[in-house]
Amino acid sequence: MEEKPSKVSLKSSDRHDSDKESVHSDIRDLWTTTTLSQAQLNMPLSEVCEGFDAEGRSISKTRGWDSPGSRSLDEGDKASHKPEEIDEHALVELELHRGSSMEINPGEKDTASQIEAEKSSSMSSLNIAKHTPHRAYWAEQQSRLPLPLMELMENEALEILTKALRSYQLGIGRDHFLTKELQRYIEGLKKRRSKRLYVN
Amino acid sequence: MRLKKGSFLWYLYLDKIYCLLSVRNVKALAEYFHILDVHGKNTLNDVLFYHFLHHVTDLKKAQINIVFDMLDWNAVGEIGFEQFYMLVCMLLAHENHLEGQFMYRHSRPVFDLLDLKGDLRIGAKNFGMYRFLFNIHKQELKDLFHDFDVTGDNLLNYQEFKLYTIIYIDKLQRRQKTEEKEKEDRKRSLYSKRKCHMK
Repeated sequence: MEEKPSKVSLKSSDRHDSDKESVHSDIRDLWTTTTLSQAQLNMPLSEVCEGFDAEGRSISKTRGWDSPGSRSLDEGDKASHKPEEIDEHALVELELHRGSSMEINPGEKDTASQIEAEKSSSMSSLNIAKHTPHRAYWAEQQSRLPLPLMELMENEALEILTKALRSYQLGIGRDHFLTKELQRYIEGLKKRRSKRLYVN
Repeated sequence: MRLKKGSFLWYLYLDKIYCLLSVRNVKALAEYFHILDVHGKNTLNDVLFYHFLHHVTDLKKAQINIVFDMLDWNAVGEIGFEQFYMLVCMLLAHENHLEGQFMYRHSRPVFDLLDLKGDLRIGAKNFGMYRFLFNIHKQELKDLFHDFDVTGDNLLNYQEFKLYTIIYIDKLQRRQKTEEKEKEDRKRSLYSKRKCHMK
């Protein structure tokens, strides 16, 4: 027997925690600034892009951060911890480094010393680039749940949501935006699961 | 009411003294809730809630509906994570035979949940509707109102309810002590028998 959905409240009770959003933007900034620092070294595009998929999201081999449906990467993780110390330290280093490299260029008249200064700045940015992606990576790792547990949760959720989709279709119709949203979400969840299976 | 074996909730456990989930378990549960939160509102509507509970327990449709009505204390037609957490704790308490302990430790929130009308009183009918959550038999419920309705209005106020939970726990602890003592006595008698036999 299918459950007819009552009118779902459209009240936009925004319960998204702003702190959690800023956490996810911090992680994203860390990855973004890493990419920028790498770009300064004129690295080949393939090396810069190897950590990201076609949609610009970071690819993780252990747990897919790819969120199902239309959800963004940041909204996908609401249970992660805050790697604030790592963020701030890395960002401060990068900013200091960028600041120092900008100060050097306008004041310098001697081209040889200018080139040397640029080299030293690029070397230090290389060092930062070496450490920053690892820090971001480990920060993400610490906030993750074990993969078998994630698999169990997702498989179970998929079964539940597939049944819920039938109720939605019977109750509010196939063309309702909520039904379509649920359908997209389920497809995204299946995609993520198959990606993980393919990787394994 | 039983949890489906092998389901995600089946792997969680409550602390036996405080009847709460550990931080690690809460984190996993939050992630699970988030996966079920299809529309990105940090809530589950009635349809999602029904299918979730139908999948993980053996509750009937009518029981699931009244559980939803009980948890939807703001009457918004959706369940947030707080209510979801409360429900999971109740399910796990039932599964691990910790219903009495749970009611004792969390008497206030349980009372507030059962107080459907909001008049700071629980009637026998309302309590009877939800007795399946706490594994209370019909006769036990009758005895409860008979023994603890001090005011005689056929309604339980919070003090009377709290008194019931305290006495329930006290009885439970005495029963456990008696059982442990009997076990020890049996072990000793077995040991002494074997000793005599060997001689």
